[in-house]
Amino acid sequence: MTASVVPVSRDTSPSRDNTVEDPARRADLVLDGHDYASVTDAICGIAERKETPTAWKIAFLASGGLVTLLLLMIGYLVFTGLGVWGINRPVGWGFAIINFVFWVGIGHAGTLISAILFLFRQKWRTSINRFAEAMTIFAVMCAGIFPAIHVGRVWMLYWVFPLPNQMGMWPNFRSPLVWDVFAVGTYATVSLLFWYMGMIPDLASLRDRATTKVKRIAYGLFSLGWRGSHRHWHRYEVAYLLLAALATPLVLSVHSVVSFDFAVSQIPGWHTTIFPPYFVVGAIFSGFAMVLMLIIPARKWFSLESFVTARHLDNIARIILVTGSIVGFAYSIELFMAWYSGNAYERFAFLNRALGPYSWAYWSMVFCNVFVPQFLWSRRIRKNVKALFVIAILVNIGMWFERFVIVTTSLSRDFLPSSWGHYTPTWVDWLTFLGTFGLFFHLFLLFVRWLPMMAMAEVKAILPEPEPAPAARPEVPPVPAGCLGAVAEFADPETFRIACGRVREEGYRDFDAYSPFPVHGLDRAMGIRRSRLPLLVFGGGLSGAALGLALQWFTNAVDYPFIISGKPLFGLPAAIPVSFELTILFAAFGAFFGMLAANRLPRFWHPSFLSERFRRVTKDRFFVGIDAADPRFSAERTGPFLASLSPLSVEYLAEHPAEGR
Amino acid sequence: MKATHVAIPDDEIRIGRGMVVPAIACAFVGVAALGAGVLIEGFPRFLAGYLASLAFWLSISLGALFFVLIQHLTRSGWSVTVRRIAENLAANVLPLAVLFVPVIVGLSDLYHWTHPGEDPLLREKSAWLDPAFFTARAGICFAVWVVLSRFFLANSARQDASGDVALTHRMQRFAPAAMILYALTVTMAAFDLLMSRDPHWFSTIFGVYYFSGGLVAFFAVLVIAVYLLQSSGRLTRSVTTEHYHDMGKQLFGYLVFWAYIAFSQYMLIWYANIPEETRWYLDRQHGSAAGIGLFLVLGQFALPFLALLPRRPKRTPALLAGIAAWILVGRFLDCFFIVSTEFGLAEVFCFFGIGGLFVAALLFRMSKTALLPARDPRLPEALSFENL
Repeated sequence: MTASVVPVSRDTSPSRDNTVEDPARRADLVLDGHDYASVTDAICGIAERKETPTAWKIAFLASGGLVTLLLLMIGYLVFTGLGVWGINRPVGWGFAIINFVFWVGIGHAGTLISAILFLFRQKWRTSINRFAEAMTIFAVMCAGIFPAIHVGRVWMLYWVFPLPNQMGMWPNFRSPLVWDVFAVGTYATVSLLFWYMGMIPDLASLRDRATTKVKRIAYGLFSLGWRGSHRHWHRYEVAYLLLAALATPLVLSVHSVVSFDFAVSQIPGWHTTIFPPYFVVGAIFSGFAMVLMLIIPARKWFSLESFVTARHLDNIARIILVTGSIVGFAYSIELFMAWYSGNAYERFAFLNRALGPYSWAYWSMVFCNVFVPQFLWSRRIRKNVKALFVIAILVNIGMWFERFVIVTTSLSRDFLPSSWGHYTPTWVDWLTFLGTFGLFFHLFLLFVRWLPMMAMAEVKAILPEPEPAPAARPEVPPVPAGCLGAVAEFADPETFRIACGRVREEGYRDFDAYSPFPVHGLDRAMGIRRSRLPLLVFGGGLSGAALGLALQWFTNAVDYPFIISGKPLFGLPAAIPVSFELTILFAAFGAFFGMLAANRLPRFWHPSFLSERFRRVTKDRFFVGIDAADPRFSAERTGPFLASLSPLSVEYLAEHPAEGR
Repeated sequence: MKATHVAIPDDEIRIGRGMVVPAIACAFVGVAALGAGVLIEGFPRFLAGYLASLAFWLSISLGALFFVLIQHLTRSGWSVTVRRIAENLAANVLPLAVLFVPVIVGLSDLYHWTHPGEDPLLREKSAWLDPAFFTARAGICFAVWVVLSRFFLANSARQDASGDVALTHRMQRFAPAAMILYALTVTMAAFDLLMSRDPHWFSTIFGVYYFSGGLVAFFAVLVIAVYLLQSSGRLTRSVTTEHYHDMGKQLFGYLVFWAYIAFSQYMLIWYANIPEETRWYLDRQHGSAAGIGLFLVLGQFALPFLALLPRRPKRTPALLAGIAAWILVGRFLDCFFIVSTEFGLAEVFCFFGIGGLFVAALLFRMSKTALLPARDPRLPEALSFENL
């Protein structure tokens, strides 16, 4: 028997329903026949609008009002004291912790989409990752507010950082609350790096299209002089992959550490070993619901239906269904184990959740998190945008209730009935929470107004490559005085690939290829050796781990030894979380700054920028440039040679071109 | 994407009759080892090793079943070239179901809860920890796994002959429900077979712990199986360096996942320090279990972690297979670590005993179908894939 295999082909049917897939062909992820230029125009067009839409202004003002409210509430809290909140004995953790966990959880979908789906080569992520990463950062900002104001005396907040202070004491590194500081801090930093790094090529697109000087300088500064060089792309891709590989365990660790806040204790309903993975899954669940909540209106308002297609929504809905089912499964394992443990307090805690004074919250949680997502089994519901929107809102409500149930029921009724209490949030609690939504949407509106909302370079990379068009041999302009080099412009990646190989075969070494997105198959043609960035990242991680261990050992076991809750001064299990976070942080710094350093970026001037045509390198054109410094370069020979590679045009680079344009 | 046109000759994707002798030899070794184990160690002592061994080999099949399910659930393309091996490994739950019978026979020796005596906790739990109910649950679990694994193997094998795309759709449609059954049964089995060895102890994460270890073991076996098949001249054109790289990445990833789960369980119990929970780890900090516990952290996790971190080992089949074999030893020791605290000859005999029979059954099963789902519609995608 012999099996013969046919080439992979793409689905070119005009149907807009790309949720059904013929297994032999991958469904299109970008609809309506977009090409490199139209993708750039569509996405940049949103940020380039001259007139700010009225709806945006209204939303911006409304969310700005809520931000003001948030600031007022925080001011009131700081000047009056924590008594304005509903917290009491025994419920010392009220809304502040609930909202903290809620917002951190929301952030998780962003990293899942940008990092984990990247590692699993889920190409559909390209049109939603930028969006979701922005959401992560804003959600983590909202989250960070709560523990900061919950400490009471906010001006003492620096005590959570390992800074020597006048009392000669250090943070207690055996406390999961200090782990939180490191976990959330690392998470915010690495997410920001990841988001920004992904955005550099797209900011360069905006720079090259800018019509005003202010925009040109602003986008120019932040795009660091990106010019789409293939040598840069190579390291960029390696660094991106490494960052994704670092962000994946990081995102798991963040909500695990948050779950440790509860699970390391002995409180019934809190101390259960499934908490870390179950918190992570719950976070992804709520995060994806928030992605849906934001992307459904956004794709309509900004006409993004050809990028965020029915298939994208379908995939998100499936992930919500899977994670929701896992969360439901974890609830049932907890219930079973409460019975199986034979522990009276554990059993009571769960009965109390379902039947006690907060049963309304418990059943809201079960309804929203376990029952509602089951509708997503239906293909028709997954295709119904309005239904998805409602389900997403309910899931977010349910996940908020989950944190409410965990925090409140366990604290309000633990071992001693005489010390039971009841927690009721005050109006300040509610308005502060509402205010963070204002902050979240306020930042989001700024993002969609001024920044590229989709990863254009990544979307271009998943578009089908255009067929090479036969080009006429272009005219070679006269050689200018002070010639710095020559560039040839190409319209499609395949001709460009062949041209790069030819340039190298011809003996040129000081040349580069420039493209709007990383074109694969060039490394070998150009003779690029694999980047050694991974070594730097490994070194960064190693030093982070060493620093973490040394810091905790020195501060808690040597400089300020203090026994807390019977823990050893330096116990390895308790030292792992902080060491882990610092490992990731330093490794991520290695990837990001290492990539920039190796690429010699920022570099705001380059001979290629002398060419007017070269501006399209961040849009839809591919360039091969040969530097005049190359020993084989001679303007008389190099220009005609480039023209023989079937480019669209050939140009010499000089400060003052001989022919005025 | 570049076009790929490969004609795969028959002897590439069949193991043929050449494997009959090795299969019989493995079966013989298996039976002999088990017999020697019972004779030398006595039935009660033998049983502990037997359970650990069974849990280990079972975890490989369960990991394989998960792999098959998740490939269909995610419409995966890269894995097609190695999926048949996973399907065969998963279908090996059938012989394991037969090998489970001695556990039922030795129930009263293996599980302390079978005679609760005056222990109030055990009396309270007797509604769940009851021999008949236990047997019924185990029966349900094995039945579910057998049905699921056979469904996917049979449909995939049928596609070899017909090339019918509808079969792919059928497997994809069935995968979600199968995954739910899988999650329920694997969790239940982990609680029953392993956690209830210490009937006072409980840990909600335990099902995930057993599951994650099984995934690691499965990927290790997959790498070794592909490597051995290629060494004997099979699958050489379909499984490329890229697939090794991917398998290596998954092996690495799930190893880290296992460590994450193991750390979560250990750290939470260590930190809260509640006597009824901590005792389980305390028991394992003396005698041979103490050394094995350390080995699990350093030898089974840290060392392979460092070895698999760089790109090259994942793309060097012989090296990757060596690392996988090393990890596999650690996986067995982990199963032993859960089941009992004194390592002895019984464990060694049972490892080879059940292992011999497992491999024999696998070879027998693999000889019945092609080694590659040659007409899977996503095979071209799998063959043309390249890592960054």
